[in-house]
Amino acid sequence: MDISQVLFYALSAMALGSAIMVVISRNPVHSVLWLIITFFAISGHYILMNAQFLGIVNLIVYAGAIMVLFLFVIMLMNLNAETEPQKNKWLKLAGVVAGGCLLLVLVAALKQAEVKGKVAMLETGDIGLIRNLGKALFTDFVVPFEISSILFLSAMVGAVVIGKK
Amino acid sequence: MSSIPLTHILFVSTALFFIGVYGLFTRRNLITMLMAIELMLNSVNINFVAFNKYLYPHTLNGVFFSLFIITVAAAEAAVAIAIIINLYRNHRSIDVEDAQEMKY
Amino acid sequence: MNAIVISAVLGVVMMFCGVFTNSKPAVRFVAIIGLLGLLIANVLDMGGYHFFNVNVNGMLAFDIFGLLFNTIAFAATWIYFLLSGRDMERVGVNLAEYFALIFFVLCGIAIVSAFNSLLMLFLGIEIISIPLYILTGSDKRNLKSNEAALKYFLMGAFSTGIMLMGITLLYGAKGSFNMEVIRSGTTTLTPMLAAGLLLLLFAMSFKVSAVPFHFWTPDAYDGAPTVFTSFMATIVKVAGFIAFIRLFEGCFGEVHKQWQLLAAIITAATLFIGNITAVFQQSVKRMLSYSSIAQAGFMLFALVAMNETAKEGLIFYAAAYSLATIGIFAVLLKMKDYTFEGFNGLAKRQPVLAATNTIFLLSLAGIPATAGFWAKFYMLSAAINNGNVMWLVIVGVLCAAVSVYYYFRVIQAMYFKDGEPQEIETSRGFKGLLIVIAAVVVLLGIFPHWLINQLYSFFYL
Repeated sequence: MDISQVLFYALSAMALGSAIMVVISRNPVHSVLWLIITFFAISGHYILMNAQFLGIVNLIVYAGAIMVLFLFVIMLMNLNAETEPQKNKWLKLAGVVAGGCLLLVLVAALKQAEVKGKVAMLETGDIGLIRNLGKALFTDFVVPFEISSILFLSAMVGAVVIGKK
Repeated sequence: MSSIPLTHILFVSTALFFIGVYGLFTRRNLITMLMAIELMLNSVNINFVAFNKYLYPHTLNGVFFSLFIITVAAAEAAVAIAIIINLYRNHRSIDVEDAQEMKY
Repeated sequence: MNAIVISAVLGVVMMFCGVFTNSKPAVRFVAIIGLLGLLIANVLDMGGYHFFNVNVNGMLAFDIFGLLFNTIAFAATWIYFLLSGRDMERVGVNLAEYFALIFFVLCGIAIVSAFNSLLMLFLGIEIISIPLYILTGSDKRNLKSNEAALKYFLMGAFSTGIMLMGITLLYGAKGSFNMEVIRSGTTTLTPMLAAGLLLLLFAMSFKVSAVPFHFWTPDAYDGAPTVFTSFMATIVKVAGFIAFIRLFEGCFGEVHKQWQLLAAIITAATLFIGNITAVFQQSVKRMLSYSSIAQAGFMLFALVAMNETAKEGLIFYAAAYSLATIGIFAVLLKMKDYTFEGFNGLAKRQPVLAATNTIFLLSLAGIPATAGFWAKFYMLSAAINNGNVMWLVIVGVLCAAVSVYYYFRVIQAMYFKDGEPQEIETSRGFKGLLIVIAAVVVLLGIFPHWLINQLYSFFYL
């Protein structure tokens, strides 16, 4: 077992464990904190897979911006009470069973021959670096890049329309 | 990294996806439901990057899709927070079960 | 490309309009003129006048089918602005922003009718959805509207997650987001492709509210301000179908046989549940939202049949369904009581409204000599041409018969029941416009080939 393997399995365990804590902790503030840990673990995965830029962006945007927004909302509205009543336990059980079945199907689909035994190729270690990403973003992906600005504009207008008193 | 099979990464991401789905269906706190959705989107991101790095390492398609997902998720979160705050102003609660003005 | 750029610019123009003027008629006027310009620009695009020569790198592909649909969507929205633009003022103070959001939705519609890469599908659907969440919740003081926005958002975001999972599986199997690459060489469904197909099918069924993924629709449509329900239930819904057909034909057209049965089952369930539940509704607004699910079942025929007749039929269906439903909603907006009783005795007080409304309802029910009849006829004949799904045709005909019941309940209330008078203010222009739309619906019903032939002969000179 080399170092990257150890790292990978540790990060995976961290991601899955804290993700489970996100959905089972009663207090929303704890959920947010667990979610931030999940994002750190996921960013670690990205960096292991040579997508350094994505890892950093993930941290800045998700852990840095979105989660802080969530925390602000929870604290401003004073929602960190642990009084959330639980849903019907049969409903929960049904959720677990249905989710488990789907999970099995998907894992079976993913385990097919074409992906089995594939290991990462690292001969071009710099492909995830900002320089290459920037080049591709402004050549191959310039149309979706521009169009996503429309999305932001509409989200901005919308948030103001709804949020304004 | 060279010795980790792709299926292990895919297992992690698929499990995260279903933890997200489970959270969305069993929780009643709106903020937590929103977090469950973010988990789902993140698991998809891992999938994209893993496929990109393992199967098609000379292109950047998957990484770019992940970037766009992150940006769109940010926009969605902003809109969702606006809706939730507005609901809270009128209602003083963000429990979905309390939000039952409409019945079938 | 004309439509995408100009609609986005118009959205920005509307935002500035809200900054510089407080006059509501002026804002509405700018929106109507702008949309007319957008419509003309799109028609010119079909005629070969491309204003913007953008290298899209295979992300978008403009074909006559998509542009034709854009034309119909823009024309329907234009009529919607003329008929119901005044009612938007009653929702809230941000009139210019509502128009801006609608223009952004139109931009999304132009994208999903022309996408060639799954990345653009994702962005297009998000650009349609995000403004719609806002419009649904725009009646800020109304709790029902807030809840509807929330439900719509949660379900929309969930289905987006499912769709993205489907896209990543396709990417894993094929290594590209380009639909041509995904289509080529897909002769058998590997497990990964099949899982991707299933997830995409579910996600798109969510977006077009097909059964069993329809449960958010009645709540969202019922809770949203009626004026925006009208837009959501017609133009946006049909745009979802265009994306659905484009995606499945583009990616899985070669393996159509393998998923046809599943699509047929979803279609049959949608027809059945939509029609049966609509029968039991007490509110016309809610009845119309279930009826939109039932009509979605007919539009799903295009997905099951997947041939040229079906695609032409879908365009025709889009026009017939949107016109009729926008007309009914425009009348409904003038009412205060949305129950069936609210329509009692309408014929005596407002003969014009009652008569035009009757034509729209007959068209939705698919009575001969209206556009709705031919729309259903095209869909059924497409399924017959396909040949594999004869049982579905029978289900379709039976469900169309059921739908006659609940549409006739409204007509019966208007003509054969007496009710206490309900104050309805209508201008002469409003009535005139309703008569024009009703005339178009009837004309399309008498000369159904006219529209399609005109458009085809015009652009295939």
